[in-house]
Amino acid sequence: MVKIFVVDNGGQWTHREWRRLRDLDVDTKIVANTTPFDDLVKENIDGLILSGGAPRIGLEGDLGNCSEYLEKADFPILGICAGHQFMARFFGGEVKPSKLPEFGKIELTILKENELFSKVPEKSIVWESHNDEVEKIPDSFFLLADSENCKTQAMKHKERSFYGLQFHPEVEHTEYGEQIFRNFVKICEK
Amino acid sequence: MFNAEKFIKEIIEKLKNEITGKALIAFSGGVDSTVCAALVNKAIGDRLIAVHVDTGYMRKNESDNVKKLMEEIGLNYRFIDASKEFFSALKNIEDPEKKRKIIGEKFIRVFEKVAEDEDIEYLVQGTIAPDWIESGGELRDTIKSHHNVGGLPEFMKLKLVEPLRDLYKDEVRKVARELKLSVSERQPFPGPGLAIRIIGEATPERTNIVREACDIVEKEIEAAVENKKMEMPWQYFAVLLPVKSVGVHGDKRAYGYVIAVRAVHSIDAMTCAFSKIPNNIIDKISTRITNTLKDKVNRVVYDITNKPPSTVEWE
Repeated sequence: MVKIFVVDNGGQWTHREWRRLRDLDVDTKIVANTTPFDDLVKENIDGLILSGGAPRIGLEGDLGNCSEYLEKADFPILGICAGHQFMARFFGGEVKPSKLPEFGKIELTILKENELFSKVPEKSIVWESHNDEVEKIPDSFFLLADSENCKTQAMKHKERSFYGLQFHPEVEHTEYGEQIFRNFVKICEK
Repeated sequence: MFNAEKFIKEIIEKLKNEITGKALIAFSGGVDSTVCAALVNKAIGDRLIAVHVDTGYMRKNESDNVKKLMEEIGLNYRFIDASKEFFSALKNIEDPEKKRKIIGEKFIRVFEKVAEDEDIEYLVQGTIAPDWIESGGELRDTIKSHHNVGGLPEFMKLKLVEPLRDLYKDEVRKVARELKLSVSERQPFPGPGLAIRIIGEATPERTNIVREACDIVEKEIEAAVENKKMEMPWQYFAVLLPVKSVGVHGDKRAYGYVIAVRAVHSIDAMTCAFSKIPNNIIDKISTRITNTLKDKVNRVVYDITNKPPSTVEWE
């Protein structure tokens, strides 16, 4: 059984991420973002999700031990919302307050094919809840998707299996949310 | 996938070990507390006492329905009318967080009294995932203090037992269906009741207005669903707004309250989309509300926001 933990950065939907994984029969657990990296390694995890977080947490400062995970992990990591913004900052990108924040329903456009979006159509409905966004993606990443008001909806590290999503695949109203989780689980199984 | 049958087996075993003495369950008659009561009842039998509190902020005929339900499940129950106490505790209170916290504490004090009289050590609550998530704490922001979590007083004598903590409503419903409970498809109703459907002070007079309006919304939508005119929303109700507007009644000026109608579609309450109610249904709801409550209400609006950015209830 594949084992993927959810790092809790204080998001409203952290537990939804856990539920998505559990529904896919993944061995999963929510862990504090202060958990030392070595403790995660001891658990033999196959992947990690960095959850979203309380207001403006992605904009500045540390996100518990998330930087240590991003520095040392040799397994796939999926950053969501604040987790995605922190990932961008960690690798040298820029995060700024959105000109037009997005809450609720928007249309996502996939720009580049990727395993994470396998079986997800080019245009689909996703749900958002963010005040800030990735203004400039790190040089080591490429862009995967955007929306009308936010140019970085999804990104991936050029060499490592690190993904960042601004939208929320874990909520019921995101049309292909379950498929995206399924794809991430597959990536972790490799 | 969530397996209700397996969950029931495991949780009953766990409850048998966890609860060694007598327990009290806070019984509202909604899906969560009913499922909880049925499970604990299976685990510890008549050591469980169900307590239903009439806060005065209940829906129309609610307390009668709850009594029937408790009898249907065969619960050992106490029915407590605390409406006077609740109304007086909420006098002059307008802030929604204060309302929720006062109600949370009042509930606990009522339960503690019963516990003391009957030598009870444990308090069982039907808390589910969105309750503690939205109540916040540590890293998580407080969206609203659910009466059964963020509304709990700091000092409490009773030991808490929350068997449904990791479940969402759709999963609780699966458990309810497995247990063959008649409430399995019932719409959610907040613990603080109509008090948080009245923006501003929740006086007995304003409670009567919103109670009547909620009843009309429920009856009309349920009839429309029955006649296959629309899909069953996740939740549907009325909210009394503190603004007044000008109307005209039979050539005379009227000046009354505004009612907002809210209906949303959701699976788990963590995200919601407003329901697309057919125009003729919303028309009927509006006309019935303004005619029935003609001395109080002369305007009805429909809430067209999703969650996020809004939440299901207004407070």
